[in-house]
Amino acid sequence: MADFFRTLITAISIVAIPLVILLFLTWGFAKKVKVYEVFVEGAKEGFSVAVRIIPYLVAMLVAIGIFRASGAMELLTAILSPVTNLIGMPAETLPMALMRPLSGSGSLGIMTELMKVHGPDSFIGILASTMYGSSETTFYVLAVYFGSVNIRNTRHAVPAGIIADVAGMLAAVGIVRLLFG
Amino acid sequence: MLNYVWISLIMIGILVAAGNDVKDEVQNPYRNGMPMQATFVVHKGPSALRQAWEGELVISSEAFNGFYGIRTESTEVRQPVVVSTSAAGESSLLMQMKETSPTRWKEMAKSATTKDQLMGLIRSMQFSDDKRSAAITLALEPIRFTKFKAITQAALEYAATAVNIALGLIGIMALWLGVMKVAEEAGLVRVLTKLLTPVTKAIFPDVPAQHPAVGAMIMNIAANMLGLSNAATPLGLKAMEELNKLNPKVGTATNAMVTFLAINTGGLILIPATAIAVRAAAGSANPGIIIGTSIVGASCATIAGILAARLLQRLPAYKRALEVKNG
Repeated sequence: MADFFRTLITAISIVAIPLVILLFLTWGFAKKVKVYEVFVEGAKEGFSVAVRIIPYLVAMLVAIGIFRASGAMELLTAILSPVTNLIGMPAETLPMALMRPLSGSGSLGIMTELMKVHGPDSFIGILASTMYGSSETTFYVLAVYFGSVNIRNTRHAVPAGIIADVAGMLAAVGIVRLLFG
Repeated sequence: MLNYVWISLIMIGILVAAGNDVKDEVQNPYRNGMPMQATFVVHKGPSALRQAWEGELVISSEAFNGFYGIRTESTEVRQPVVVSTSAAGESSLLMQMKETSPTRWKEMAKSATTKDQLMGLIRSMQFSDDKRSAAITLALEPIRFTKFKAITQAALEYAATAVNIALGLIGIMALWLGVMKVAEEAGLVRVLTKLLTPVTKAIFPDVPAQHPAVGAMIMNIAANMLGLSNAATPLGLKAMEELNKLNPKVGTATNAMVTFLAINTGGLILIPATAIAVRAAAGSANPGIIIGTSIVGASCATIAGILAARLLQRLPAYKRALEVKNG
């Protein structure tokens, strides 16, 4: 069952992009849209959007880079580990939970390292990979998405994003403990 | 809020780096200026052209661990090294860091004068009778302010990474914005939007059901769930652009934007392909075992994100931020 689901979804993800492009363009052509001209008209925006993101992304990534390189993560892990021990979250996976919202490549590195040390099918290995799949790089998403429309006052986006991350990490601990603990 | 998070990341980073460097200064974990004993095994002697020996530094694991006060080395240290003598009779050594080099040296080499190389002075060198090896006393170059060097490097590197990421987006952005424009003109997005109106109406009450933003958001979420991040980001940015057209106050996030971002940061994905790939590479017996657990985790994250966004938007401070002042 799980295997069938996996094969199905994998197949869909492989054909999705070509199919969507084909469907949209032929549909447009059938509706007598001047497909080439309209496509180019829309595509023009691509450059300006990408360039608009740059200052926001630089600001965010530099701050995250400084934080990561300073060794502050180790300090934070030491401070928070008594709390996470209470809910049965191994201290080894705490850097993973803290890094996930900040940096995609950083959390990927931590996940790889944890699997190398503890084995991919150990409790810690499964938990780390579940954590990786349970959330997105919140601060990167915030910087890129808000940056693209020049939004500087993000209102409640940061607390909402952090609440989502914490919920995802706690749920990951819960479900992995339930099934593999 | 982002202001506080941003300045905290930078301030905590720099302060912690300073603290770590001061600690290093006091504890001297790199043993700056302290003489170290080692055996130098000669592989290639000096030639007429060059007064240099090539070979290996050999230090027993006990001696190495004892010198640095650590427990990381379990096998004998064998580090390739070049020893050269200047005209003034001073000898120095140069070690290129390799995969097999001791962890502590690799760490030190990261903040050495030349990256991934450690230099040192030779205080004394006593060759054995057959000239194949020598007992030497050496002092490595002092390693200081490692964290400050690291954060400087990180700041510069990440600034460049940010630009690379943004520039890398140009092509895919153009492709998807073009395709979406065609779909819009053909009325296809409207068809898609209509199908999901009951759902979108409940999650985004502020957005008119037929608005192009809804179509872009649906496509973005679908692409995210399928793990098509190349398509998801351009579609998401398209959705932000459309949502911004409904924004009464330029430069401030609307409720719909925050809810949309909460869904995106939840990161619901049906097949976490990256995690599975890493598990397979690490030799897992069942790499796909995390599909179910990841869906549970990400669903919780997404639901919590939507609820948090919808609840927090009622707080007076956040409401006020969106009010447009008259006059």
